[in-house]
Amino acid sequence: MNEFNWTYVGVAALGIFGLFSFLATVVLSLTWYERKMLARIQMRVGPSRVGPHGLLQPIADVFKLVTKEDIRPTNSSGILFWSAPLIVFVSAFLVWLTVPFADGLIVAPQELGLLYIVAIATVGIVGLLLAGYTSSSKYSVLGGMRAAAQLVSYEIPIIVVVLAIAVLVQSLDLRDVILGNEVTIGERVISFDGQGAIPFAFIMPLGLVVFILAGLAELGRTPFDIHHAESEVVGGPFLEYSGAHWAVFFLAEYINTFMIAALTVLLFFGGWSWPSPPESVFGAALDEWQTDALGVGWFLFKTYMVVGLFFWFRGTYPRLRIDQLMAFGWKSLIPLSFVNLILIAIVMFYDWPLWVMTAFSVPILVGGLYFGARRTARRADPSTVQMYRRASREDGGNKLVPEGTRD
Amino acid sequence: MLNSLKALRVSLGTMMRKKVTAEYPKEHLPIQDRYMGFPALLWDDARDEPFCTGCMVCVRYCPTQCMSAEMMDNEKFVEGDSHRKKIIDTFEINLGRCILCGICVDVCNFDAIEMSHEHERSDRGRDANRVDLGELLVMGTKFQKDTGWKQSKPNLPSPKERSVIAEAKAAKEAAEAAANPASEVPPETTAT
Repeated sequence: MNEFNWTYVGVAALGIFGLFSFLATVVLSLTWYERKMLARIQMRVGPSRVGPHGLLQPIADVFKLVTKEDIRPTNSSGILFWSAPLIVFVSAFLVWLTVPFADGLIVAPQELGLLYIVAIATVGIVGLLLAGYTSSSKYSVLGGMRAAAQLVSYEIPIIVVVLAIAVLVQSLDLRDVILGNEVTIGERVISFDGQGAIPFAFIMPLGLVVFILAGLAELGRTPFDIHHAESEVVGGPFLEYSGAHWAVFFLAEYINTFMIAALTVLLFFGGWSWPSPPESVFGAALDEWQTDALGVGWFLFKTYMVVGLFFWFRGTYPRLRIDQLMAFGWKSLIPLSFVNLILIAIVMFYDWPLWVMTAFSVPILVGGLYFGARRTARRADPSTVQMYRRASREDGGNKLVPEGTRD
Repeated sequence: MLNSLKALRVSLGTMMRKKVTAEYPKEHLPIQDRYMGFPALLWDDARDEPFCTGCMVCVRYCPTQCMSAEMMDNEKFVEGDSHRKKIIDTFEINLGRCILCGICVDVCNFDAIEMSHEHERSDRGRDANRVDLGELLVMGTKFQKDTGWKQSKPNLPSPKERSVIAEAKAAKEAAEAAANPASEVPPETTAT
């Protein structure tokens, strides 16, 4: 791809357009899915009026949001205020470019896909912080700060777990995670065949649980949704947004939710690869497009299952306090993720069988989460409480609002 | 941590439970007999006419003055079929003003008005939701049929019934007199 090639540009544009349409559809379906699921947990019906089973409700929602008045607070700082949702959305969208839906079905194949994903996903934090900072609202600033603190903290366990997967597969390419890879370390040749192999969830259950919990925090979903906690900071960074811009924020939010679920499936549940090859299931040789379609279907099915797990959590757990959140992240998840990384490194270095990893992971996982949860559930540290009280006493928190934008 | 898993099990359990929502226009929950809907006039099946005599008590007691009524002479009384000398001629309730307080039911002397089960009446206009005598009677008979309503005291006898009763009484007395002639004679006449 050294020379400029119009065909390549056309194909890329087509891919991006297809990806965008796909993601928009997915977001619509996710809002419906979430509302139905929460409704079932609360013994309600959920959306049922627009279309059969309320299936057209998301479209009605989009129409409502787009036709709503788009308000900008008088004291907010113009172009920054409008660009914040764009930054959040673009970072959420760009991550999807390297996600393989099936063998070869990928918009931009990259050898450093995993690195790219964790790098680009971080950009979204800037958008949230910007949204909070430029809204000229105390709640937004607090929400933005919380978002930044939370997301930066929980990036670490995610990256370390991804690193552990990379150590296991000896590659940073997402396709290698599924298809397997062959590498040479010194004199030894390590061959890893992912297709049809046992999912990594069984090899590193510790990594899976840490990834899902940190992923939930990364998304700002319940029980880690303190950055748009309605009862505390009203809506966090999104507070002052309305209409289409608010819709863009939530588009990004749901794309990210689907992203974390898709990453969980790709890294831990074998992505598009069937438990046994589809040929053996259907008893006949399949065309390439048939295999691809089956793979994409299987991948989406698993992803929706994981998303359903997130929604189930949302219907079950209350919100953590901010000090609990930080304590859980720094004192439990990060040590556990590092233990996971070191374990897999030792297992790979000495070329032990992979069940050793499982055997070590399970007790560490249970023990770590048990003590982590106990420590998290403790009362707030008195010094932390004093710090927050002092901050709220002095100037009523006005110090947090940038100079010149105070009302 | 165990409690967190228990919580997940609980929410899964509620997910499996039956929904409590009734999707209203499609699905109607049963109405209890004591439910107080809009007032309606009841129908006297024995006399084949309304109970209401148009006495205006409910109209006078109505706190929102949503009712109006007019009485007329009852033809059935003239013919001797009914005990009601007067009967309701026109009755109108502005359901838009009615506050469903039930005072009209409490003050009625004739079992004529009841709070029916009718509750699905609404209209866009402030003055559009008026019901006349016919509709009120339809609402009332539906209520009577649904709840097995019984009147609190029996009807007084009509003129025809009264004459039948009087004839029967006279016949009975005559028969008694025939059976016992001595008692028929007044004591004064025997004294003279």
